[in-house]
Amino acid sequence: MSIINYASREIQFKIVYYGPALCGKTTNLAYIHERMSPSHRGDLVSLATSADRTLFFDFLPVNAVVIKGFVTKFQLYTVPGQVIYNATRQLVLRSVDGVVFVADSQWEKMEENVESFKNLEENLTQQNLSIAEIPYVLQYNKRDLTNIAPINYLEFLLNNRKKRAQSFEVVSSTGQNVFASLNAVSQMLLHKFCKQGEAPSSASVTPAIPSEIVPPSRSIRPINL
Amino acid sequence: MNSIPALTIEHVASLDGILADFLKKADADLAVVIDRGGNVISQYGDFAILDVTIIAALAAGSFAATRELARRIGEVEFNALYHQGNGNHIFMNSVDENTIMITVFGPRTTVGLVRFYSAATAAAVAELLMSLETSGAHGFTFEANDVTAGPIFIDR
Repeated sequence: MSIINYASREIQFKIVYYGPALCGKTTNLAYIHERMSPSHRGDLVSLATSADRTLFFDFLPVNAVVIKGFVTKFQLYTVPGQVIYNATRQLVLRSVDGVVFVADSQWEKMEENVESFKNLEENLTQQNLSIAEIPYVLQYNKRDLTNIAPINYLEFLLNNRKKRAQSFEVVSSTGQNVFASLNAVSQMLLHKFCKQGEAPSSASVTPAIPSEIVPPSRSIRPINL
Repeated sequence: MNSIPALTIEHVASLDGILADFLKKADADLAVVIDRGGNVISQYGDFAILDVTIIAALAAGSFAATRELARRIGEVEFNALYHQGNGNHIFMNSVDENTIMITVFGPRTTVGLVRFYSAATAAAVAELLMSLETSGAHGFTFEANDVTAGPIFIDR
């Protein structure tokens, strides 16, 4: 949960990058760390295995002056994507303010994407939160690969609900839309605390949801239909 | 509309007073009060030597990770953890169900002294935080035009 300190004039927010194993969550943070001015970010801390798989979490503190008179600190976390680490994901989600869901665009990862999103919803529920009340954006990552699902199919699977989230076509390895999605979720969560209400959440890509699409291998049920 | 829990200058001064007294008695270098999500609530002491934000994130993770270990031996959680270094050490103890206190100390003092004084300090911090909740200190909001309109973070 965010917290404001009037003495140091700081506000803290926690943003978690969530998604299936090897979808590019750590790559997002590594790119942000590499491209941000050192005066606006701290060290990137990775608690990873010897094979560079996230074991606990990655953590990157970044800051900006976005609210008049206050330094706003955003704490960026990733979760371990591997299924067995669900207890760790629950711990990292504690006190979360915003979520970037990183989906892997490759056809063979569709089931894992859906499972991971369901897992996110379940873990939020355990904290008496719901995806409807948490500012979040969707990243469709690895758009540079060849064996990828079209955007409208990903939208159909992951963004098929009454209030659709902003979504981005991302190549986290080159940085395409990495900052755009971070900026979007940051603006959303800031506007959550505005007196005037929430920020507009118009989607950056708004493909029509197809009435019938069958992926190459098997049919995967979209979430929240 | 949502609001952000707020620590006023008076609250921070009270917390600082408690932590300053603790550091003096225990002869420790740094005390940090964090929530279990890794957010820093208050800090006092020589924090130029390290990045408190990162210490807070790692400490919250460390505390949470050992919870399962505690459950295996029939405990709800370990209410204190001690990481011993060659010269500098970290002691962490539970303040309440949402809050942890971290103490960094060096060779001038001992873990026994830190542990002894941290118990009373944690109780005082818990009491203060409880009073914040009951005093209705929650409620910071801002105007939409106080927020920067353009991109918050820039890709160099």
